[in-house]
Amino acid sequence: MTEQNISTWLLLLILTVLAGLISSVNFAYTVPLILLLAVLKFMGVAFSFMEIKKANPFWKLLIMSFLVIFCGIIIVAL
Amino acid sequence: MENEVKDHKNIFYPPGGILIWIIIFLELITFGIALIALVFYSKEDPTLFHDSRLQLNITFGTINTVFLLTSGFFMANTVHELKQNHQLKAQKYLLITMLFGVLFLVLKLVEYNAKLDAGLTMGSNTFFTFYWMLTLFHVIHVIVGLVILISVYIGINKKNSTTKMEDVEASAAFWHMCDLIWLLLFPVIYLIF
Repeated sequence: MTEQNISTWLLLLILTVLAGLISSVNFAYTVPLILLLAVLKFMGVAFSFMEIKKANPFWKLLIMSFLVIFCGIIIVAL
Repeated sequence: MENEVKDHKNIFYPPGGILIWIIIFLELITFGIALIALVFYSKEDPTLFHDSRLQLNITFGTINTVFLLTSGFFMANTVHELKQNHQLKAQKYLLITMLFGVLFLVLKLVEYNAKLDAGLTMGSNTFFTFYWMLTLFHVIHVIVGLVILISVYIGINKKNSTTKMEDVEASAAFWHMCDLIWLLLFPVIYLIF
């Protein structure tokens, strides 16, 4: 086990619980916050667990582009 | 086990290989479009979507997220240990990876059973049509992922294993893809409406 994997995993668990808690509170930024937490978790898995951080910048750009387009459309559509 | 490590800085050799990443992006785009369609449909009847969303069990969804993330954590450790030639540790971590995958499926079955008992089927309303189709499609991916991991486990257990590191990385990438898809499904279906 690497320290980085352990810290990523713990962070992902904290973000998951946080997302559940935020969803029960109704305020103006609930949806953007939930999506932001989802993006952070997605990046944690892709960059750390899937080791995209070691890949060519093209793949990092592709992942980030997907996230920006997906979340952008969801926020605009809601 | 053949432990040839590729230079991942080369654009054609992302971890797991370029083919699995083409599949991953196709899957992400497919699920992404479906989720965006769900959000657009919600504009037609926001109250229905809100009421339907409230009938989902957020606790189950959160626990399932924890199961998949923990499974992904052990998968990442499996790959790391194999690269270090720690065969036994890798086998142990791979078993734990599969265990959490199975736990995800078991909890999903419990959740599906509760929905069916409550009469919330695919035909109940638009929200539940999307809920059943997207989550079932994801469950199929998890089952396929488990089959792939079982084949990897058998492969690395052999005495004169011909399993390549890239095969293990590709299998790991497929398994992590199930995490990625769930990380999109969970907030959109369970939380935002």
